[in-house]
Amino acid sequence: MKFELTEEQGLIQQSARDFAKEFLDPVAADLDRTGEFPTAIVKELAKHDFLGLHLPADAGGAAAGFVSYIAAIEALSRSCSAVASIVNNQAMSSYAIYHWGSADLKKKYVAPLIKGEIIGAFAVYEHGPTPGIGPDALTATKQDGGYVLKGTKAYVRNAGVANVYVVFAITDPADPKALTGFVVDATAPGLKVGPKHSTMGLKGCPVADVVFENVAVPEGAVLGTVKKGREIVTRTLALASIAEGAQTVGIGQTAVEHAAGHARERVQFGKPVGTFQAVQTLLAESKTDCYLARLALFNAAQLVEDGKPFETEAAMLKSFLARLGSKILLDTCQVEGGMGYSETMPIPRLFRDIAGTNLLDAPADFPDGVIAASIN
Amino acid sequence: MPKCLVCYKWTLDEQDIRVNPDDLSLDTSRAKAKISDFDRNAIEEATLIVEKHGGSVNALSYGTPDVKQSLKDVLSRGPEKVYWIAQSGAQTSDAYVTANVLAAAIRKLGQYDLILCGEGSSDEFNRQTPVRLAALLGLPCVTYVEKLSVEGDTIKATRRVADCSEVATVKGPVVISVLNQINKPRIPTLKQVLGAAKKPNEEIKIADLGLKPESLQPKSARKSVKGFVTKRKKIVYKEANAAANVAKLASSLAAEGLC
Repeated sequence: MKFELTEEQGLIQQSARDFAKEFLDPVAADLDRTGEFPTAIVKELAKHDFLGLHLPADAGGAAAGFVSYIAAIEALSRSCSAVASIVNNQAMSSYAIYHWGSADLKKKYVAPLIKGEIIGAFAVYEHGPTPGIGPDALTATKQDGGYVLKGTKAYVRNAGVANVYVVFAITDPADPKALTGFVVDATAPGLKVGPKHSTMGLKGCPVADVVFENVAVPEGAVLGTVKKGREIVTRTLALASIAEGAQTVGIGQTAVEHAAGHARERVQFGKPVGTFQAVQTLLAESKTDCYLARLALFNAAQLVEDGKPFETEAAMLKSFLARLGSKILLDTCQVEGGMGYSETMPIPRLFRDIAGTNLLDAPADFPDGVIAASIN
Repeated sequence: MPKCLVCYKWTLDEQDIRVNPDDLSLDTSRAKAKISDFDRNAIEEATLIVEKHGGSVNALSYGTPDVKQSLKDVLSRGPEKVYWIAQSGAQTSDAYVTANVLAAAIRKLGQYDLILCGEGSSDEFNRQTPVRLAALLGLPCVTYVEKLSVEGDTIKATRRVADCSEVATVKGPVVISVLNQINKPRIPTLKQVLGAAKKPNEEIKIADLGLKPESLQPKSARKSVKGFVTKRKKIVYKEANAAANVAKLASSLAAEGLC
């Protein structure tokens, strides 16, 4: 057993860190303040192959593998998790279309998504308790030559800037659990994006509801098989949850390093505060949590790369980080005291971003069901 | 179309080096290695020249067996091929030995129009290797270059000297050492990183260079290395008023020979 990145994976991680230092560090605080979508950075991400990192060469991707993807997401998140979140959402869209889309859908969308020419969004959630159940659930009614979509998708990331939406709808009202995937162009008549939600964190990554008012789509817009969309949702969200784990580890690592720097520099009672045991405990526990989370993170990523079952490990990672991600930020903020609480320091932004990372896409309690089901 | 060779050093990343507060010794046990900073500028400049004018870029490095870890990194940054010379104990080599080894390897490889080096290495920054290399090869050397252009067979180099810039023109073959102002090294795209594995590398055995044993004996030896830590005197002046405090400060600085 060897827990070490390969040479290529290490170089990709280093490239991502270099990219983050050059392009993300200078703008991360501004993105958090303005909430503007970083169009120019997305172009640079594409230019450096980050948007197609996970996809094979025949799709135009870098074919770097899932471990490299996770290493890159962690490295980007150390500077700006909002941008990492945009990359993750772009990856969810391109992954779903590449794996389940028809040849026409792949041809139309995958290469432009990889090149950053278009933005993708993966829209699953609704205002009801679960997709398919609720007054405004997205339905797809069969009509000649295609379907008519009606309903609302909630909390869609990349909403408003996305050119293409991967959405899931009920095609059989008698069977609301059976979802069908559709690929919908943002210019489709009747597709409307609601007001942008003012979110707590990940502010450069827009979140809004997407309303479908009798949006007609052709038969060819179906992703995979009719009524088999839940398989696409489950697998794509499980992969995304590992990437969100990478975001959390990246944010946590930055918080620990910043707090450690503060503990070295800040002198109280004639000594750096890092020499006090109470401060050492906060830093030691935070570093330990990051270390253990990273082991679980890369173990889950390696399972994906090896084509082995990974859903339980991904769920355990998500559950672990939901509990410890915020604790790392609380403890590192405590190390920095009043200075850490100030918006002039990065800890408040990291705090907001880690909350967004843990809450969006899969609520913190969702993974427990997956884990419980794996226990005989 | 210029035929370029870039010499680079695989060195420890100074950001990872910790200073032991007890004796100021350096802890390098967790330090990662990297291509020396100014050498990255040299690699980038050679790559830019070839992208603009055609030609070729090769890279060459001499170091401990760890130098092998640098091959994919350097190849992802533009060079088509890398030559490497590994020698156990090379960490004690000074600029004299390094220049002897690099010059012997270059003689073996054949003529290059442009041999580019970083002005100094990230770890020691002795700034000797480029000039020693040029002397050994009998080539002209232009140092402290912050701007470079190739016009036909003429190379125009702008040098940053003490308080002004100086423009030199020279015909190849020539050794040029560059400053970090010359360019901004690119971040390799992920396809370039992965494509580096397909590019060739070739080991040159030090025994095949025909060097005499004395050419591999350093002229200087490092006795010890210690971290530099700013020590504050923590003197507080508690005179009756500001003017008296300033006067006291001035006399203290004068006593230290600082004003």
